[in-house]
Amino acid sequence: MDHMPENWGRPRNDVYGEYQSAIHNAGQGPQSRTQTPSITGTSVIAMKFDNGVMLAADNLGSYGSLARFTDQERLIKVGNETVVGISGDASDQQYIELLLERLLIEDNYPQDGHHLRAPHIYEYLSRVMYNRRSKIDPLWNAILVAGKNDDGSPFLGYVDLLGVTYSSPSIATGYGAYLAIPLMRKIVSEEADAKNVSEEQARKVIDECMKVLFYRDARSLDKYTVATVTLDGEVKMDKNVRCQNMNWRFAEGIRGYGTQKQ
Amino acid sequence: MTSIGTGYDLSNSVFSPDGRNFQVEYASKAVEADGTAIGIRCADGVVFAVEKIVSSKLLVPGANKKIQTIDRHVGVAYSGLTPDGRHLVDRGRSESYSWRGTYKVPISVPTLADRLSGYVQAYTCYSSVRPFGVSVIVGGVDDSGPHLYTIEPSGAFWGYMGAATGKGRQAAKSELEKLDLPNISARDAVKAAAKIIYVAHDDSKDKDFELEISWVSTSETGGLHQFVPKELLEEAERLAKADDDDEDDDDEMDED
Amino acid sequence: MNGISVDMQALKKGEVNLGTSIMAVTFDGGVILGADSRTTTGAFIANRVTDKLTQVHDTIWCCRSGSAADTQAVADMVKYHLQMYSVLYEKPPTKVAASIFQEICYSNKDALSAGIICAGYDDKNGGEVYSIPLGGSLHKQPYAIAGSGSTYIYGYCNTRFKPNMTRDETVDFVKGALTEAIKWDGSSGGVIRMVVLTKNGVERLIFYPDEYQKDY
Repeated sequence: MDHMPENWGRPRNDVYGEYQSAIHNAGQGPQSRTQTPSITGTSVIAMKFDNGVMLAADNLGSYGSLARFTDQERLIKVGNETVVGISGDASDQQYIELLLERLLIEDNYPQDGHHLRAPHIYEYLSRVMYNRRSKIDPLWNAILVAGKNDDGSPFLGYVDLLGVTYSSPSIATGYGAYLAIPLMRKIVSEEADAKNVSEEQARKVIDECMKVLFYRDARSLDKYTVATVTLDGEVKMDKNVRCQNMNWRFAEGIRGYGTQKQ
Repeated sequence: MTSIGTGYDLSNSVFSPDGRNFQVEYASKAVEADGTAIGIRCADGVVFAVEKIVSSKLLVPGANKKIQTIDRHVGVAYSGLTPDGRHLVDRGRSESYSWRGTYKVPISVPTLADRLSGYVQAYTCYSSVRPFGVSVIVGGVDDSGPHLYTIEPSGAFWGYMGAATGKGRQAAKSELEKLDLPNISARDAVKAAAKIIYVAHDDSKDKDFELEISWVSTSETGGLHQFVPKELLEEAERLAKADDDDEDDDDEMDED
Repeated sequence: MNGISVDMQALKKGEVNLGTSIMAVTFDGGVILGADSRTTTGAFIANRVTDKLTQVHDTIWCCRSGSAADTQAVADMVKYHLQMYSVLYEKPPTKVAASIFQEICYSNKDALSAGIICAGYDDKNGGEVYSIPLGGSLHKQPYAIAGSGSTYIYGYCNTRFKPNMTRDETVDFVKGALTEAIKWDGSSGGVIRMVVLTKNGVERLIFYPDEYQKDY
């Protein structure tokens, strides 16, 4: 008796050839490990100025269109002179935070006074992001890294879920790429422009960008954090900032959608 | 060590008829041959100090640290075979790494000491390995306060208010007993630690040594394990030297 | 894609669903967990007296939403972990329990549909509430709501919640919120169950439809 059920009631081998077990063992369809994000954070924006880098991200964790968490901190201080801004999936953000925490603990082992700076953290994160996308299991985020270069000049870099990286004196993720970058490029378009922009000027533009994003990004919040990395000192984290001087009064003059006057 | 040569000391994990594990006892000899290491548990933290014997003038001053960091909030100091200590520190780091991955909180100091001692103990049970030739002082601050432990080559671990291992441990222990433990402040403990290392140091055997002092303290370092600032180390060392010279003078007068 | 429809899609055909209204609220001396009692397969109520409040340690509990099978499996795993933890080390803090939930939900996010609220009381930290939504992220909150019915009570809870309420105020808050959720959500219903966790331990409460229902 043949104890293999797949051999029962089957065409004879000598007539039709061997049973192709590859077909028998095949799965139902293609396998995918790519997920979709569930709790998400929207844009992170950042620009260089004469004495460092300033970045901002709102405090919203969206669940689809539902404003689920309104106290999400998406600007992460990494060491004493670097800030990482994370948009995209919240669970992957928390995983990245764990990776960075471990990286810093390891960095502290030698106690030699040397510390990882922004370019090193940026390189690390870009390798992590590229490795994960190469496993077709990406971390669903777009990340900005801001801090100081080895030579003391300001550093700003972007890396996303595809492992794509680039640097620019003003960068934004998500809707910020459409709405904030044009505003930021008005004063910092090229690397050299940053030297002519003061911290106050940069802050004004950043606040303006966050306001425009609140006007026009349906997954945004009017409560946000501004982080300032200065070349001479520490990182300043200005939390729970609210959009100021918003312009809504003109709404009263809008009547109907064309010819209506009343 | 009257039983040396009876054959029971050749293999690890083999008891002698009177119930001793000679390999473990020999490991303790390696500890006794190395510079003194002490730990003090103070009001809101832990202070470590080691007498690092400088065996050659060619060694880079300040390099080859004997106090190490396991996690942000945990430090270690040890006497004995340095590579054994280094290996145990690596093990401690990976324990604390995986704890953080599982529970998303820092490992507590008692748990870390427990796990490390279990690792050390395993090295007394197999004939294919030898025991650790180090006594390790593990200490730190966690959410239940400051903790200080010593792990011996046997794998035994004890909680202490003041701990000492290495060459000068006897002298160091009697000095530690004079301190107001555990009420002493971290800053005072640093100065006391420097003095104790100088007292425990035997000038006639080892000429040169480097003093290493680190601390973990809620008030002084925000719960992080760090080497003490240069100025504080220098002040502590100056006071210790002055005190040590005085005592030498006293000794001479007593002898008169 | 809307996250809520992802929740439903992730269920296998015929799978039992905790289309649910659950919440947990911190108050002065501890924390209260609350839930409805309806379990559905499609439109059929598979169980009308379900207990969605699950104990994972003495005074650490969770509210389960999503797939009944998945959340029961996860809760069982966490319960086992915490039992080991308490034998080896000490009474587990609520954060540790929530982190174990989070780790399991995150590393198996492709396979699970589980939305969990983990809440507990311990002497050091008092009452704490952690939310672990679909992707496996962890969010500490003063209070948390979840499940399909929760979408109807975001406004109710946001205006009525006050930090440091008394026990009785909190019971009323949870009862009021779940009453609204049950009223508007077809996937929620039955009795309202509550668990009160304080320094005195565990207290169970139950409220029947004829008690909490108001006139339409």
